[in-house]
Amino acid sequence: MDMSSRKILDRGFTSLGIFSVVLMAVTLAVLLTPIIIRGAGAFVFRETVENRRFTFDVFGRGDEAALEVEVADAAKARKPVYDMVAEFRAEVGQMSGRRKRDMQGQLRTVENLLRELLGPFPGEPRPVMPRSRYGKPRWDRAEVALGRLLTVEDYDYSDPTQLGKKVLTPRVEKFRGTKLEELFDYLPAHAEAMLRPEWTLNWRFLTDEPVDANIFGGIWPALLGTIYLTVGAMLFAVPMGVVTAIYLVEYAGSSRIVSLLRTFVSTLAGVPSIVFGLFGLAFFLNTLFDLHLFNQVLGISRSKTVLAGSLTLALLVLPTIIRAAEEAIRAVPHSYKEAALSLGATRWRTVVTVILPASLPGILTGIIISMGRAAGETAPIIFTAAVALGKVPSLTELHQQPTPALPWNIYNLCSENQAIEEIRHVQYGMVLVLVGLVLLLNVAAILLRARISRKLRG
Amino acid sequence: MMERKSISKIAVAGLVTVLAVEAAFVVRTMAADDAKGSGKIVIDGSTTVGPIAKAFAEYYMSVNPGVTISVSESGSGNGAKSLIAGSCDIASMSRFMKDAEFKAATDKGVFPVAHVVAMDGIAIAVHPSNPIAGRGLTVKQVRDIYTGKINNWSELGGPDLKIVRISRDTSSGTYETFEGLVMKNEKLAADTEYVGAQAAMRERIKSTASAIGYVGLGFLDDSIRALEIDGVYPDNNTVSSGRYPVARPLFLFTNGYPALGGHVHAFVTLHLSRKGQEMVEQIGYVPVTKY
Amino acid sequence: MEVQSTTGSRVRRRAETKLCLSRRQSLVRGILGRLGHGLLFVMASSSLLAVLFIFAFIIRDAVPFFRLRGFSEFFTSPHWHPASADSPEFGALAILFDHALVTLCAAMFTVPLGIVAAVCLSDVLPFAIRQIVKPIIEILAAIPSVAFGFFALVILTPLFQNHGGNVLAGALWAVGIPVMLIVTWVLSDILSSKFKVGARKAARWTVAAVLAGIQVALLVYLGGKLSSLVIVSGTNALNVSLVLGIMALPTVVSVSEDALTAVGRELREGSYALGATRAETLVKVVMPAAGSGLFAAAILGIMRAFGETMVVWMAAGNSARIPSPWYNILQPVRTLTATIAGEMGETDQTYGAAHYHSLFAMALCLLIVSFLCNFAAEWFVRRTHKRMGKLAK
Repeated sequence: MDMSSRKILDRGFTSLGIFSVVLMAVTLAVLLTPIIIRGAGAFVFRETVENRRFTFDVFGRGDEAALEVEVADAAKARKPVYDMVAEFRAEVGQMSGRRKRDMQGQLRTVENLLRELLGPFPGEPRPVMPRSRYGKPRWDRAEVALGRLLTVEDYDYSDPTQLGKKVLTPRVEKFRGTKLEELFDYLPAHAEAMLRPEWTLNWRFLTDEPVDANIFGGIWPALLGTIYLTVGAMLFAVPMGVVTAIYLVEYAGSSRIVSLLRTFVSTLAGVPSIVFGLFGLAFFLNTLFDLHLFNQVLGISRSKTVLAGSLTLALLVLPTIIRAAEEAIRAVPHSYKEAALSLGATRWRTVVTVILPASLPGILTGIIISMGRAAGETAPIIFTAAVALGKVPSLTELHQQPTPALPWNIYNLCSENQAIEEIRHVQYGMVLVLVGLVLLLNVAAILLRARISRKLRG
Repeated sequence: MMERKSISKIAVAGLVTVLAVEAAFVVRTMAADDAKGSGKIVIDGSTTVGPIAKAFAEYYMSVNPGVTISVSESGSGNGAKSLIAGSCDIASMSRFMKDAEFKAATDKGVFPVAHVVAMDGIAIAVHPSNPIAGRGLTVKQVRDIYTGKINNWSELGGPDLKIVRISRDTSSGTYETFEGLVMKNEKLAADTEYVGAQAAMRERIKSTASAIGYVGLGFLDDSIRALEIDGVYPDNNTVSSGRYPVARPLFLFTNGYPALGGHVHAFVTLHLSRKGQEMVEQIGYVPVTKY
Repeated sequence: MEVQSTTGSRVRRRAETKLCLSRRQSLVRGILGRLGHGLLFVMASSSLLAVLFIFAFIIRDAVPFFRLRGFSEFFTSPHWHPASADSPEFGALAILFDHALVTLCAAMFTVPLGIVAAVCLSDVLPFAIRQIVKPIIEILAAIPSVAFGFFALVILTPLFQNHGGNVLAGALWAVGIPVMLIVTWVLSDILSSKFKVGARKAARWTVAAVLAGIQVALLVYLGGKLSSLVIVSGTNALNVSLVLGIMALPTVVSVSEDALTAVGRELREGSYALGATRAETLVKVVMPAAGSGLFAAAILGIMRAFGETMVVWMAAGNSARIPSPWYNILQPVRTLTATIAGEMGETDQTYGAAHYHSLFAMALCLLIVSFLCNFAAEWFVRRTHKRMGKLAK
């Protein structure tokens, strides 16, 4: 092979490598873009007057006087709708036979769709569930509901040996020549006047309690629960991990023990997360907390608790912390240690006063990264800590109460829920918050590490 | 010598840290929750009953602000286990307790009492473009489809398309109900597809014109069509009157009949009230009362 | 004066007592020290204890299953009907197969890509760009698995279901065109080198045109085939394999990069000094030298995909069935991890219930495989370092 084709091969190889790196970057972009854009929709959206009413009624926020004016305006815009429906109802009352039955059915559908869009009709009893007490809280959902009100999706089964054809007809066709005909012109023209959408920045999404299966409100319990679980896991894992690292570097006598321990550390790191969950269930809940000492004397519950979840997560992140701490301690220059020892300090004193402070940033980096890991893990907390709905336990009940947690609630809302489409924005918002939390922690770690390396170099 | 001392110092320091941490977790709450004013209800169990339990819990907490309720949707088995272990007050289950669970409960001195909170009809559903949607099937025809005796929609007078059979995964309560009431414990055809969740079933039917599947009434929407079975369309009336053949009760289990006037009692009888009925209905299940 | 001297002697005396311990004191300190060392050791072996406990408790709850149902059904029957009232069946073969299928598909995609990217990072890209790429990998590694699962379920699934064929064809084109360009460029050059210098340019262009033509035709043909494909279920093995592959990528990249940098400059410089190009140096010298490390990277990457729960639970379709034909990755599948996560809540968790214990049997399978893989990976890593150590000497 001559020189030029070798050069070409070389370039080809290089471009293959660059291509793969670019592919990776593109993948990350593809992954994060929809999460960021649609997740932002949980915070920034066009809020209808219904959501403002809800916020005032349930959370007591908002300007009462302004809201009253607004509600009155919206009611004024809605009045013709209700008048038309009432007139039509009277008209149907005068019909007879099959046409009457048919029209009654049609009217009921329209009424139900209107209730979905605008909330209950004036004068109706106040429904129990917030979802039917208020109309659509978000303009994007209201537009969908409006679309369903205006067009009928039907199938034509005239030939039973063929698949039916989808027929989209304007709903107005069904009401030609009746008093309801005008409604279908009025609705799209006055939808904004009836719902009064306004752009809003709803940072309260983070700090509000969810209401009615997350259709209203925010994600506070899940967010706080995640923080509890993460911090709890750190409380157990950090002392264990750092002590292990100190032992491995400074105290372990023979290298055989060190390599044995290190093998087990990496084995622990390789255990699938769901196995941690099962272990948490079998050991902490079914065995340890079933003991008289824990259950009766200390009052730890045998069902899911924040404590059990934290312990399980602590095991999961232990290897990460041990490795980071070990590396950080090893990176402390030998001269530091020798200087301390030569001044007559004991080994322990050297560790505490010289080595630990010097390796602290490195250890912190490891801790921050494993916090991100603990916050995002789902499988270990399924059986040990997470619930779908609940108040966040107070600090004194962490050993007795389970908690909602972001990762579990994301799963719960997007896979086994009736109103999946209705609360898409909540799901995206939760993912954005979780990813944001984890990435924030990681960026902190990266910055910290950059500072350390600058210090070491300088 | 000094070194040894330092080691013990490390150990003591470590121990103290761990103990302090543990102690922080383990401070017992002494608040008595006997009084009607405040209290705590822990509900554990099925994902199917979950929406009802959650709606009831939110309503109950809004009416009684002092009460804390947690609802865990971790499965019927978990609910039973928690009730037996005494770690939940109410187990929500989409099936009745199994014999083994009952035995385990009575061995521990727990006596499960069932409260039927609602009925759940299981709708046999097809793609809306399927002309069968306008006609319906019999239980026997559905069984023949799922056992593989009927393989093409044309055998039922429909279009000439191979039937795509979809079932819930074999470990779900919905599957158990379907197996018992429709299949009469016959085995499903080998090429049946399985999906893992109610919502997934809906999506799966939505995407295939020749599919047949089954979902709980609460998960029906415009995108799929429920079939009349034996001439009965699944809705609130037919399920509650027992005319629709594929329906099951949903349970709340308590340990013994709850003390009258307590929060647990109020909670497990909520479905008997007008508000409870309204909530059950709005979530898409079939109430057991009719006001 | 007097006072001073007395204090001086007192100080001296105190110092003496401090320096010399009595027999008893030294004994006590010795015991305390041993105790301390022991305690420290116990705390340090927390990970060891954790591993032992995990094994012990998983085995404890898995054994009753095999005692109840024996071994053969679990590993040879594909019929998984654990909740059947009359005749439950516990054949996990389909689930085991699906798990292996998903893992291998993910590996096929992530291992080559990851290793090439690592080579690029360690030897090709300039330092400044490396500083940008590294955080990208770290971010990719940090994203929680449930977010990946959400992405697979909410974004990829409808995409596959509604535009499945076109998406696959698009992906083929997106990957195919750059690869085609490189291949054409390289091959045409090599083939045309046989020609005389004068005719070389023309020859190169003709060869390139022919090659490109063939490849475009191939792409068009395959793309057409793919785009006419209808994916009936968006939650399928391909979907999760892709996402698992992305999740495993950072592991593969960072471990193989470590292995590649461990090779050291001497080998590289030696190779360059002999006149090798960068590609030759990398392929013929550096990568073989880092071979075991790259193996370890592959194993660790596969393990990451192997142990993942949320993505497969949410987006694999959870159908406990061997796809037909077996390589059809467009059908829904169910893995061990998803089965455990999904069914543990539904079983009656009484001691002696076969379903409950069967899930622990699955966990035991997971545990054993990951344990063995981990051992293998560690062995490979150690071998690389030993070899490199020898080379350095």
